[in-house]
Amino acid sequence: MNPILRMDGVSVTYRGSARPRQAVTDANLTLEAGATLGLAGESGCGKTSLALAVLRLLPRSAEVDGTILLDGRDIERLTWGGLRAVRWASASVVFQGAMHALNPVRTIADQIAEPIRLHSSERLSAAVLRARVVELLEQVEIPGRRRDAYPHELSGGQRQRVMIAMALACEPRLIIADEPTTALDVVVQAQVLSLLRQLVAERGIALLMISHDLSVLAASCRRLAVMYRGRLVEEGPARRLASSPEHEHTRALATAFPTIGDTGSRYPGAGEPAGETGSARRALLSAEGVSVVFEDRYRNRVPAVRGVDLEVTGDEILALVGQSGSGKTTLARTLLGLRRPDAGVVYYDGRPLPTSGRRLRDFRGNVQLVLQDPTGALNPRHTVYEAVAEGLRVHGGAADEATRVREALEAAELRPAEEFTGRFPHELSGGQRQRVVIAGALVLRPRVLVADEPVASLDATVRGEILALLLRLRRERGVSSLVITHDLGLAWNIADRVAVMRAGGIVESGPVERVLLEPEHEYTTELLAAVPSFERSVS
Amino acid sequence: MTDTREELETRGPTNGPPPLLRFVAAKIGGGVVSLFLVAVLGFFLFRVLPGDPARTMTRSTPVSAEQLAALRHRFGLDQPLYLQFRDFLLNLLHGDLGTSYIYNRPVAELILERIGPTVLLGGTATVAAVLVGLWMGTRAAWRQGGPVDRWFTSVGLTLWSVPTFWLGLLLLMAFGVGVGPLPGLFPVAGMSSPDVPAGVVARVLDVAHHLVLPCLTLVAVIYAQFMMVMRTSLLEEMGAEYLTTARAKGLREDLVRRRHAVPNALLPTVTLIFLHLGLVVAGAITVETVFSWPGLGLLTYEALRVPDLPLLQGTFIVLAGSVIVMNVLAELIYRFLDPRVRES
Repeated sequence: MNPILRMDGVSVTYRGSARPRQAVTDANLTLEAGATLGLAGESGCGKTSLALAVLRLLPRSAEVDGTILLDGRDIERLTWGGLRAVRWASASVVFQGAMHALNPVRTIADQIAEPIRLHSSERLSAAVLRARVVELLEQVEIPGRRRDAYPHELSGGQRQRVMIAMALACEPRLIIADEPTTALDVVVQAQVLSLLRQLVAERGIALLMISHDLSVLAASCRRLAVMYRGRLVEEGPARRLASSPEHEHTRALATAFPTIGDTGSRYPGAGEPAGETGSARRALLSAEGVSVVFEDRYRNRVPAVRGVDLEVTGDEILALVGQSGSGKTTLARTLLGLRRPDAGVVYYDGRPLPTSGRRLRDFRGNVQLVLQDPTGALNPRHTVYEAVAEGLRVHGGAADEATRVREALEAAELRPAEEFTGRFPHELSGGQRQRVVIAGALVLRPRVLVADEPVASLDATVRGEILALLLRLRRERGVSSLVITHDLGLAWNIADRVAVMRAGGIVESGPVERVLLEPEHEYTTELLAAVPSFERSVS
Repeated sequence: MTDTREELETRGPTNGPPPLLRFVAAKIGGGVVSLFLVAVLGFFLFRVLPGDPARTMTRSTPVSAEQLAALRHRFGLDQPLYLQFRDFLLNLLHGDLGTSYIYNRPVAELILERIGPTVLLGGTATVAAVLVGLWMGTRAAWRQGGPVDRWFTSVGLTLWSVPTFWLGLLLLMAFGVGVGPLPGLFPVAGMSSPDVPAGVVARVLDVAHHLVLPCLTLVAVIYAQFMMVMRTSLLEEMGAEYLTTARAKGLREDLVRRRHAVPNALLPTVTLIFLHLGLVVAGAITVETVFSWPGLGLLTYEALRVPDLPLLQGTFIVLAGSVIVMNVLAELIYRFLDPRVRES
């Protein structure tokens, strides 16, 4: 068989204003027709540059060396016209985060039909085009009557399905999927992956899939390749890479994603609340019959949280797990006093939450929020010092501000603190930024941290460090955490207890080992089944 | 998975009027309230101006105290303020804006007479400026930092910073009066010549001939704002990922720009264009004065010199009202252009 894609000694160099930066160094890859290859690596390792080089989609500043043969044709030697004919017809792309990869002001039917019309040799009538679009949409399980929808009217999973339908439009021989499921929650991710897997298998389309998540790739591709700092460090059958990785970076990637049930994936200290004394086990932050109702644009009352009872005791890590839209973030906002419940009461330290004024501010000093995206949570024009000190100033300031800030930075493991205080967010890595956000919470010496997807935007190796930090804060400072996540693996990593939320209600809660290993509710089983893992990797 | 099935169902309104109707009603309601506030402001603003209107009217002729009182009575100036205000509002509802002191004719009639030329001049200039500005902005942004971008931006900003009357006078001297060997190519004042042969075509050509210089002045001064907004807006879109998708599909670069980037980049300019259309009526005051264009701007200028209170009040209400009306229109149209706004 002829390989559909061959890369020989491919290097990508970005000629910036300063010095050139080599993103990919000497990459060799071969993908047979109909085969599936997963390309794994952390952000900035060059995997996206390598993939975009296949269709010469890199910005002008990028220089590509080596040969790339797509379906036997040398991509670098094609004329612009020849290249445009190859794009999408021979190889198409499923981009990451379909919200931005789709044009917001055009309907999905319009965007799917565009490449069909463009690459068709004859003029297609509107009726033929419409029929083809509907057929494509139905292949990805979106009803044809939704064809006139705009991207923002669809959910994240549906948008990703539209991207897949679009990629299939010209019946290409290769599909490049760049982080196709990164922004989706586990259940939707499992659906999208199985759909993609099935569609390429049925049509004999080759798949080059890129992800930072080795388990996602293992679930969809027969072969895996691992990239590290611009080089391909290991390549082989998915099974072998999963069971006996040779390169240490492959091993690091593999261990960063937990296997539920494997005690090796439980972090030291997880499930062992330190203080077993009576006072520490008392509920610190709790909800009793809390309901929250939203009004949509048609003035329909939509319940987001329905009669939830939940308690975070002192000195514990509780994971609140659910899909997007399950109401977990709304519940967290209510617990933080950012929103008043429509029914029920939130208690802190045995007393109902104050509703206004100084007492609410005092409460907020004790219960602090850590957001998902540290880049968005930090003001780009504030130094680390200002970002951390801001909370103190809001709460009336402290005479020993500088000491408190240094202490908080060190507690968040930014050591030595002096080295970081003067820096701006853009000078820090993603993990360091999240540490600054955590330091900003710690500076008020809170008793509870509410962390909303604290590691969702971080790389595999950094993820582990941040999770370990939450455990250490609990052990050394007695800070409880309520971690909101769609990631059951995260709950297995660090939580003592887990509460599973669905459609505004908590369907099951209890100690992590009990809930995740012997789930009682079918929804928990469903969630667990959707988690990609090496055990279920394709052979 | 039941969740996915549920979200696939089209959601729809279940009670209350359709959202579109509610939206339109709310916007128009808001516009009416603003218009009322403009009327209130118009009334009181000109009442607190110093000077006695009756004396202003009779500046040139000696009058007796009885004649002054009669005059005050005629214009309702001897009534208490709240009664004057009530009458003013009632008249306004009937389209009666009072009587001009200097022309001694109904203000509404005067304004109606003058509004045509103003809309002709302002409208032509705005449409031309929008077209020129958007085209230049697109070109400049697509090759950011290139020679085209640098030229367009610097020329545009220079003209934007030039005072309108100064540029108008310059053009008037260069092309109206004629400099050196250059003859006067265009008429210097007014909207039509007295000695025009009969026939529609000849009259239209004559007006167009008169229109060239004032229109050119206005376009030169205002096009830069459309260009700069379009340029910035397109630059923001240029990094968007859906453009990479469009390129990956095999679209030619000019199609990527025309079909994908420009429609998105146009959205912010819509608001600006409509805000500007509202100012069409007001914005031409200096140009109309320089070129003696018989429009609302010139009328306002004449009313200001006296000052002719009812006339000023009338033009004020019309000018402010047109801004509000255009603003409401912009919001309604934006909703149809951007599907995302339709939802909220």
